[in-house]
Amino acid sequence: MNSERYIVPAGNGRESYLSDRSGAEKVRELVEHAAELDLHQKPGPALASLIQSIFGFEAVAILDADVNEVYQLGEWFPGVEETVRNVFVFETVRDDPETGLIRRVLRVRNLPIGALLLRGEAEEAISSQIAALIAISFDRYHAFANEMRMESAKRAEQLRSTVLDSLAHAYKTPLTAIQAAASGLKEMGNLSAAQGTMVSLIAEQAAQLNLLTTRLLRTARLEAHSLHAELVAIAPLIEDVIAATREQLANMSIKVDLARDDLSLMGDRSLLEAMLTHFVENAGKYADVGTTVTIGAAERPGCIVLSVHNRGPVIPAAEHERIFDRYFRSQTAEHLAPGTGIGLSVAKQAALAHGGQVWVTSSEHEGTTFFAALPVESQGAAI
Amino acid sequence: MSEEKNIRVLLVDDEPAIRRALKTPLQELGFQAVEASRGEEALHLVRTDSFDVVLLDINMPGIGGMQTLVRLRALAPRLPILMLTVRDEEHDKVEALEKGADDYITKPFSIRECIARIRAAVRRSKTPERSEDAPIAVGDIEILPARRIVKKAGEAVRLTPKEYEILLYLMRNAGRAVTYGKLLTSVWGVEYRQEVDYLRTFVRQLRKKIEKDPSHPRYLLTDPCVGYRFAEEVAFARGTNGAAAGDAWLPT
Repeated sequence: MNSERYIVPAGNGRESYLSDRSGAEKVRELVEHAAELDLHQKPGPALASLIQSIFGFEAVAILDADVNEVYQLGEWFPGVEETVRNVFVFETVRDDPETGLIRRVLRVRNLPIGALLLRGEAEEAISSQIAALIAISFDRYHAFANEMRMESAKRAEQLRSTVLDSLAHAYKTPLTAIQAAASGLKEMGNLSAAQGTMVSLIAEQAAQLNLLTTRLLRTARLEAHSLHAELVAIAPLIEDVIAATREQLANMSIKVDLARDDLSLMGDRSLLEAMLTHFVENAGKYADVGTTVTIGAAERPGCIVLSVHNRGPVIPAAEHERIFDRYFRSQTAEHLAPGTGIGLSVAKQAALAHGGQVWVTSSEHEGTTFFAALPVESQGAAI
Repeated sequence: MSEEKNIRVLLVDDEPAIRRALKTPLQELGFQAVEASRGEEALHLVRTDSFDVVLLDINMPGIGGMQTLVRLRALAPRLPILMLTVRDEEHDKVEALEKGADDYITKPFSIRECIARIRAAVRRSKTPERSEDAPIAVGDIEILPARRIVKKAGEAVRLTPKEYEILLYLMRNAGRAVTYGKLLTSVWGVEYRQEVDYLRTFVRQLRKKIEKDPSHPRYLLTDPCVGYRFAEEVAFARGTNGAAAGDAWLPT
């Protein structure tokens, strides 16, 4: 175990006039100083110095197990770090008059978070109070540092989403103008057949570019977004996805096949929605015109399996894994459909983030089905 | 195109390309279109001129679209305002609807869609407010508030009280997007405005009772992440179950 070693400069001259005060008074002084510690810095070195100067110990060593650092002060024997670590590991609480060593475990809500090793004389109760105070200070520091980290993560997320919003605006403006101009030309009429064809082409391709932009931005947004777990009801989720993909599924009928109406799971709704949207868009892209796309949700022990089934070209078995890789696009001629090659990889990442998995089955006889198995109680590390 | 002759559109967007792309076809198709590049300018124009409808971009420098919306609403409570938004900004759409926008159009859009929304909004604003008890019919769905009866193709449909209230609220606002929050507040009360999953459950039940194919709703439509919208008119493209009552509502 590697740890950083801090040698704290020796006492600041307080010991001379403090030595005859009672232990309780000294503890009170330590409490006051500890309350004023600057939480932007690790409190270990300052506490070691305070304890030595207020109580006049010959030497002080403190282990903060959370960050695995030992703060020591005064004259220590070689290997003191190991000793203080052992106090923590074996939870040794002992006063040893022969060697003058005092061992205490630092605890917060009964959990060991570090250890204290003192050399010198002190009442048992006083040493325990010192240990309790160090533990509280460490806890306060870690809570504060945690809060700062969360705050900074939140700011970074806000920044990213601001950047993405302005990107969205920047792309959508010219697309809107092109779309409006092309469709306006058509509405105004008086175009020759050839002119009409060209104008339609402009409008179609602008719409296609818009779809790609929307997808790319959605992917980028998901990457920028930290996960928020909530109870997600499956039936309405499917309903929203169908409503959002209406245009892409215009040429097919849609069937919803739910094991139960009230299926739900703990997860991030926008992520799950993106996952299912990519499955459905993919089905819309490859399904034979006029066939049915079936969106299903089934219950398995501890998880819910979402599936999207379509009839269309078979995906070769060799591609069943790779199809979920970023930028992978099937080389099979039948599979040449517009796309970015990102959608299914996003779906896979979304499932993985929930502690789930994705897979596909595809055969001439059974058609193509994309599956996502998601734990009901999310075990995703990220959530 | 004579009906457009008198429709005055105020076009508010900071992007000249978008104003140009909208103004030319609108004028060509018989609308009168006036441009503004900022919310401040739009407010000035509404004070000094009269318009039938405003197309208002959400994302603008200066006071921005949302603030402009609030001030326009205060100036002209009945003036239809359609927000121009981008997909993925659902929270903006919700906020705009709750602050009094009549509808939103998602960029990019076609001129045809834009004109359809303009016409619908203008038509709604010119329709005199109907009485509380007036029956409302869309397609083959009819609601008779005076008797708390709902009919589908002439046959009574049994609804629970909450289902009935949801349907009534949506049909009274037919053609408009109603946010989850508004619907929850009006049917259950303000303390329920966050209970979207609750509402979804009821809507699902309601769809089973009024839609022919609940997973392909034609009446009670979902505006993803925003709310619900009851269709203003329903096209009978495929053969319906021959309901004579429905034929009367065939759109022109």
